[in-house]
Amino acid sequence: MALIKARRATPDAVAEAIPLTLDSLVAQLGSPVASERRAAARALDAHEDGIPALCDRVAAEVAPSVCEAIMAALVRRASSAVVAALLPLLRDGTPVQRNAALEALAVMPEHVAPHVAALLRDPDTDVRIFTANLLSVLPHAEAAAWLVEALADPHANVCAAAVDGLAEIGDARALPALAALPARFPDDSFLAFAVQLASQRIDQ
Amino acid sequence: MSVTAPLIDPLLPVARAEDARAPISPQDYAKFCDFFYRKTGIIFGANKAYFAERRLQDRIAATGHAGFRDYFTLLRFEIGGAEMQQLVNAMTIKETYFYREDYQFDALVRHVLPAIAAERAPGTPIRIWSLPCSTGEEPYSIAMQILEHWSQADRYDIEILASDIDSRALADARAGVYGERALHRLPPALKQRYFTPYGDGYRICDALRGSIDFTQVNVADAATMRRYRDIDVIFCRNMLIYFDEVSRRQAVETLYDSLRPGGVICLGHSESMSRMSSLFAPRRFGTTILYQRPVDHD
Amino acid sequence: MTEPHSHGKRILVVDDGMTTRLYYRSVFEAAGFVVEEAANGLEGLERALVEPFDLLVVDVNMPKMDGYTLIERLRGDATGQAVPIVTISTEAGASDAERALEAGANLYLVKPAAPAALRHFAALMTGVAA
Repeated sequence: MALIKARRATPDAVAEAIPLTLDSLVAQLGSPVASERRAAARALDAHEDGIPALCDRVAAEVAPSVCEAIMAALVRRASSAVVAALLPLLRDGTPVQRNAALEALAVMPEHVAPHVAALLRDPDTDVRIFTANLLSVLPHAEAAAWLVEALADPHANVCAAAVDGLAEIGDARALPALAALPARFPDDSFLAFAVQLASQRIDQ
Repeated sequence: MSVTAPLIDPLLPVARAEDARAPISPQDYAKFCDFFYRKTGIIFGANKAYFAERRLQDRIAATGHAGFRDYFTLLRFEIGGAEMQQLVNAMTIKETYFYREDYQFDALVRHVLPAIAAERAPGTPIRIWSLPCSTGEEPYSIAMQILEHWSQADRYDIEILASDIDSRALADARAGVYGERALHRLPPALKQRYFTPYGDGYRICDALRGSIDFTQVNVADAATMRRYRDIDVIFCRNMLIYFDEVSRRQAVETLYDSLRPGGVICLGHSESMSRMSSLFAPRRFGTTILYQRPVDHD
Repeated sequence: MTEPHSHGKRILVVDDGMTTRLYYRSVFEAAGFVVEEAANGLEGLERALVEPFDLLVVDVNMPKMDGYTLIERLRGDATGQAVPIVTISTEAGASDAERALEAGANLYLVKPAAPAALRHFAALMTGVAA
């Protein structure tokens, strides 16, 4: 018959069970071979002292499978150090790094909170847009209030991102600022649509 | 300039007869649907709206909330996402039977295995993993499908591994005894060929029972998972959707590591990698989407 | 809901913004199109590979998979070679347009795209009488 019973474990698996030292894993995280870097990242994820090395590596890593492994590790270790390592990716990261960073930051509300005011005042419009996107999924009691603050942004796309977020998490406090918005951008039909949608969702 | 169509939120359902519990407003239902879609990729069509609203009301009541707003805050804020998992449980149908979602087994023998065979010397192993295997319906279905419908089956050493965290389910799987309900989607010819009457039910034939390797595995246990390597096809249907997001992320990383480059993973009908990870590339096999670990390592 | 005399042409809107997807929905449904949505590039690719669409409207910057990659992967599959694709992006540079067209898009628009323009291109690219 074509079906045979599988062996329980391949011989290679036994060799892999020998744990490597932290130093050798950190060194392997700098290997030119992506599969080796990924293996190091996975091992550092399981290592209680592995996070600093992963934080140091995250900005430089562009291989998708390694980036994913690093982010999977960071996402379960919320801390101000991890947030500090991820925030620069909002400005300087590749789109892949930036989106991965936003996903990770979204589960670290208490550590992100001290940075929100500065992010909403960032000179880079895109950073302010990404911050509004982040706030709409951030499980923090002040997120809706921060989005209302963002409605005062000079750039229409930042305001639009904030309105989009308020459609999900906004409450009645947002209504006056929402109502005032279209007058600032009278030719923006998308913004008018967004304000109407968010107002309808909030006002019941 | 304005949009010419009237501004109607397309998710506002038609009002319906009163419910004893607090009704969900159309706006709240719309918010809920957007949130659930964002998290799971699942959309409730108009024909499912009544069911979804009822289940939502069930969860609001079960968690002791007065209404949707407070419940929604819990859903969005809860660390660990325990209520989100309960909600997903409430919104999805869990049952196991032979040939469940069998279009995926079709894709296996008509497209996936031939693609593997095209690049694999005869006589070499092809490893297929059913995880979670529950009481065995899935791995036995895979085995039957291969024997019945893959003409090349005899040319390769096909290993079917089957794992679950539940040791009682595994014991049932090894015993291979099933009731009528489990067999209701099985073509009669297969029932004849692979089962014999056994008490009130049926027992799967010895040849199949002996050819599947059932093992106890916890996906979260890295040491155990490391023993599984170079898998060609993983059937991981209707497990990941019930995990919280952090555990799910870890499980996906682990499953990726267990696949050989180019290997594929098959999720359940309502599940999508689009809400889990970008590690895998969606590939079309016939009209079925499976997810492939890239061949090139970045 | 679609107009009573909908021609039944199907558009897939791929964008990570909920409001944006609803906006396109309202614009295209007013012109008789059936509209489906995907919230990121990966979901968009999954749907485009196995469901029939007459037009894809694809955002560029999205989580899980960006618009360019979606288009490249779709064009690399036998079923995805013919479907018309419009990319809509905040970037107005010539290199972004080139990138989109090289990936296999048929048209590159810059946000914000006026509703009249969207309906015009949708009708043109799906063969609907204007």
